[in-house]
Amino acid sequence: MNSALTLSQLNRRVAQALSASPLQGVWVVAELSDLRVSHGHCYMELMEKDPSTGSVLARLRGVIWASTFPRLNAEFFGVTGRRLESGLKVMVCGSVNYHSAFGMSFVITAIDPSYTMGEAERRRREIIDRLTREGVIGMNRELEWPDVALRVAVISASGAAGYGDFINQLFHNQERLRFSVRLFPAVMQGDRTSPSVISALEAIAAEQEEYDCVVIIRGGGATSDLLAFDDYNLALNVAQFPLPVVIGIGHERDTTVLDYVANMRVKTPTAAAEWLIARGTAAMDRLRRIASDIMLTASDIIAGAQTRLAYLDSALSLAPEAAMQRAKASLQRATIMLAETGARRISPEMARLEATGKAVGTAAFNATARALDRLRSRRDLLAALSPEATLSRGYSITMVNGRAVRSVSDLKPGDVITTTVADGTVDSIVNQTQSK
Amino acid sequence: MEQNQTPQFKPVSEMTYNQAVGELDAILRTMQSDTCDIDRLTAYTRRATELLKECRSRLTATDEELRTILADLDAQK
Repeated sequence: MNSALTLSQLNRRVAQALSASPLQGVWVVAELSDLRVSHGHCYMELMEKDPSTGSVLARLRGVIWASTFPRLNAEFFGVTGRRLESGLKVMVCGSVNYHSAFGMSFVITAIDPSYTMGEAERRRREIIDRLTREGVIGMNRELEWPDVALRVAVISASGAAGYGDFINQLFHNQERLRFSVRLFPAVMQGDRTSPSVISALEAIAAEQEEYDCVVIIRGGGATSDLLAFDDYNLALNVAQFPLPVVIGIGHERDTTVLDYVANMRVKTPTAAAEWLIARGTAAMDRLRRIASDIMLTASDIIAGAQTRLAYLDSALSLAPEAAMQRAKASLQRATIMLAETGARRISPEMARLEATGKAVGTAAFNATARALDRLRSRRDLLAALSPEATLSRGYSITMVNGRAVRSVSDLKPGDVITTTVADGTVDSIVNQTQSK
Repeated sequence: MEQNQTPQFKPVSEMTYNQAVGELDAILRTMQSDTCDIDRLTAYTRRATELLKECRSRLTATDEELRTILADLDAQK
């Protein structure tokens, strides 16, 4: 047992063992806790927690010496827009150091800000995904605004510069819009942010008929600690809030989960006021438009009625004479038309009549000519057949008792017969008769 | 013929802002339609003026009211 070491000898051996290269200049991911700055040195607890239970799995003291802290802090702020603070997840590079009196610690010499950015983004993504799965992500965004949103419930740290900016902007608008504002004070940074804002929301919800919208603002301070707004419970409350929520807590490059669930997202408290004023101004503009439309329409109607009256007036004074003129004109027209109609209808009749007359004449003449011809030819025939012609050719006619003798039996001896020849008659007495 | 030449209107104080603006739109539409009766024109424009006045007064505050509001806000701080 003579070989027993003193404690400092043991610790020296531990220190020697720990100075082995695998523990020097290693990158480690951890969550920051109990961070404090003293005499320019930055002390903290590095932790690893179970993601599901939150119980501590590992813990190691960390330190950033004053010689490097300002540089690391500025570098980290430059990328993330945040100071190093408790609750952040970081990736740091350092070496394990063992001090005989103070024990083991991790001396940090470098930090990778992009890891923290990615980590915050991943956490935000998780919350958004969960709210989406639960079907509440768009609920506040889909709320309809009242036509006029003048009654405003504000959640802000009381006395904060951002709240002052908001009020100042809101009540010095050109239209003199009649806003009414009530402040519901809340803690706007650190661990108490989420429960504090949620209880303010609950207070507003209890008298929700009194307000048209909620404005959550924070500003004027440093761009730090927005992490507190990346909270599931707070986001869930805002998403399901029955009045439209305007959120103005960030700066240009920062977004929080609330920006995804709130009805309206603006950059600053002043911008929140401007947005409300713009809505009110739009309502005023609409009233102005209606007023001028109504005025124009009314004067149009009156002007139209006057024009019609004037027309009727002049038309009525001229009406009797005009009617006379019209009557005369139409009479004249009728006369002319009648005359034209007569001539037009009679002359063809006359022509037809004339033509018919001529035709009748021609036909009669032709008929007569034909009759004459016929007569002439008959006369010739008659002449050829007449007794005189026959007689002149040497034939004669014998008559007895006034009748032509055709047969010997017509005669008996002693009869006086008269024989006619071409140039006279001969009376004779029949001697005898004999038949052929 | 209508029984009554003047349409019956609801008192503006009993109307919501939306109702008032809705009625303004309706009046404008009626006036713009061909059926607008000139006998009712006066009634319509008078009613429109009344509605416009009410709507404006609901949107805007007088100087005195503004001063009171700002004083109240100061007290809240």
